[in-house]
Amino acid sequence: MKRVWSWAALILGGLYFLLPLIGTIEFSLRMRRGEYSLDAYRSVLSDANFRATFSYSVVMALLTIVLGVLIVVPTAYWVRLRLPRLRPVIEFITLLPLVIPAIVVVFGYIRLYNTSSVLPLTGTASGTNLLLLCGYATLALPYMYRAVDTGLSTLDVRSLTEAAQSLGAGWTRIIGRLILPNVLGAVMSGAFLSFAIVIGEFTMAALLNRPAFGPYMQLLGANRAYEPAALAVIAFAVTWGCMGVMQLISRLFGTRIPAK
Amino acid sequence: MSFLTLDHLQKSFGTTRVVHGFDLSVEKGEFVSFLGPSGCGKTTVLRMVAGFETPSAGRVVIDGQDVTRARPNQRRIGMVFQSYALFPNLTVAENVGFGLKVGGVPRAERAGRVTEMLELIGLPDLGGRYPWQLSGGQQQRVALARALAPRPRVLLLDEPLSALDAKIRVSLRNQIREIQQQLGITTIFVTHDQEEALSISDRIVVMHKGVADQIGTPAQIYNQPATDFVAGFVGTLNRFAAEVLDPARGIVRVEGAEIALDRPLSLGGVTLAARPESLRIAEHGIPAEITGVEFLGSVQRLRARVGGQEVVLDRFNEPGAALPQPGVRVHLTAPPSGWLVLGE
Repeated sequence: MKRVWSWAALILGGLYFLLPLIGTIEFSLRMRRGEYSLDAYRSVLSDANFRATFSYSVVMALLTIVLGVLIVVPTAYWVRLRLPRLRPVIEFITLLPLVIPAIVVVFGYIRLYNTSSVLPLTGTASGTNLLLLCGYATLALPYMYRAVDTGLSTLDVRSLTEAAQSLGAGWTRIIGRLILPNVLGAVMSGAFLSFAIVIGEFTMAALLNRPAFGPYMQLLGANRAYEPAALAVIAFAVTWGCMGVMQLISRLFGTRIPAK
Repeated sequence: MSFLTLDHLQKSFGTTRVVHGFDLSVEKGEFVSFLGPSGCGKTTVLRMVAGFETPSAGRVVIDGQDVTRARPNQRRIGMVFQSYALFPNLTVAENVGFGLKVGGVPRAERAGRVTEMLELIGLPDLGGRYPWQLSGGQQQRVALARALAPRPRVLLLDEPLSALDAKIRVSLRNQIREIQQQLGITTIFVTHDQEEALSISDRIVVMHKGVADQIGTPAQIYNQPATDFVAGFVGTLNRFAAEVLDPARGIVRVEGAEIALDRPLSLGGVTLAARPESLRIAEHGIPAEITGVEFLGSVQRLRARVGGQEVVLDRFNEPGAALPQPGVRVHLTAPPSGWLVLGE
């Protein structure tokens, strides 16, 4: 009896997730009247804007991951090593981006860094890119921090640090050569989530007027019928593909570190 | 001139003072153990030598150089931890070579030294393994090799054997001592295990509540404990309340029996104490009743009741002699040198 229910739940869940996907795929193939074709995909892929916005978002996502790692790994490490009592506070701070809507953050940015402010970041494209990058890193913070902190919890951070120090190592070497490689798996899972968030992000990119993939999808969706469906499928596939590649990379590194 | 000097070290955490004015001079090549119960401050002193804790007052001098304020990575000390603390992402050889790499030793020289170290600890073929592929005892030997590879001035061992099982603990402690003597490296060994401390040290520092109660050779610590605490902490001790009859000649009375200590005492009450191996059954002496007999092979351990308390006495096994039976009334005595006088 129990088994019946679990199968029912599985099937129901499967339908819930798969039906819209199947519907979208089916719809994206119906651009030519009366027969299935890949016309919608051809149309999307030949659009220069698609390639431009998608590669822009991929680059931003990768930079977000790098920035996130640079901020989160040393912070989480230091908190565990020296400020264990501050852990709940830091955890609360890293959760704030989940509570504060992106639109609030981005309006704050615009008010603080507009062209008549002390630091007119929005005055230039590169300045705005930097601002967007910081925004993305903020959005990814809860996921990145949790993942890295969990990774660190499997290590005896204090003893490893002291062992390295007694052997003459400084902080850069300790974090770069010992801590980071040992939490790489955790960093990777944080990176997957950051990547997924950034690829589809709309609010920040649109309000800062950057040519990202999110606003492009929205634009296309407002003007075309079949192409948005094709785009959604492509984006879905590419995102999963990227995650697969990252998983593969972490596996390759991961062979050196056993699962606990 | 001693090689390592701890000059009136103090350490407080908040308002709690865990180490009170700790003084110690260690000669070059000496093996000194810090022995004491948990919370006695032994690890804190070690960590101040390593540089992981900053003393509230006092100085740490290594080889004439004041390192009290030096950072841990500038002290040139080797440290071995209870938890091994091997770097999980590096191979055994990379772990051992880590300190050399940090020190900028060229690759070829480094490889030579790593091989030498792995041979020293008796694991020449395991260089390519990862720490998780080794047993606890092997991991701790690798940790020892890693600490020794950069030729530190002082080797610090923080309860290195506590996480291992009994048999390996004994063999590894002997190996540590052999390697230490072979290299002639100045060593501080922290332990709460008295047998460990007694068996491998040149000198032992018995610590209690943040102070060194006694510093001496293992034999001095065991045979001439300086304080009540040392007497009770190191080895088993039987205590007897005694009344001083003749202070000049050192005659006391215990449970109605007169005992001559042949050393002068002050008048009043004292506590007499004797190790289990000093007590023996005799014609005259302290009246006792045997309550239990344990046959331990080479040793027979007898339990007896004296007044209201139980005492333990050990004697060598004699194949021909019968074991005393529980319930038998006997008299206990000890040679004058076997009696310790406490609380004088």
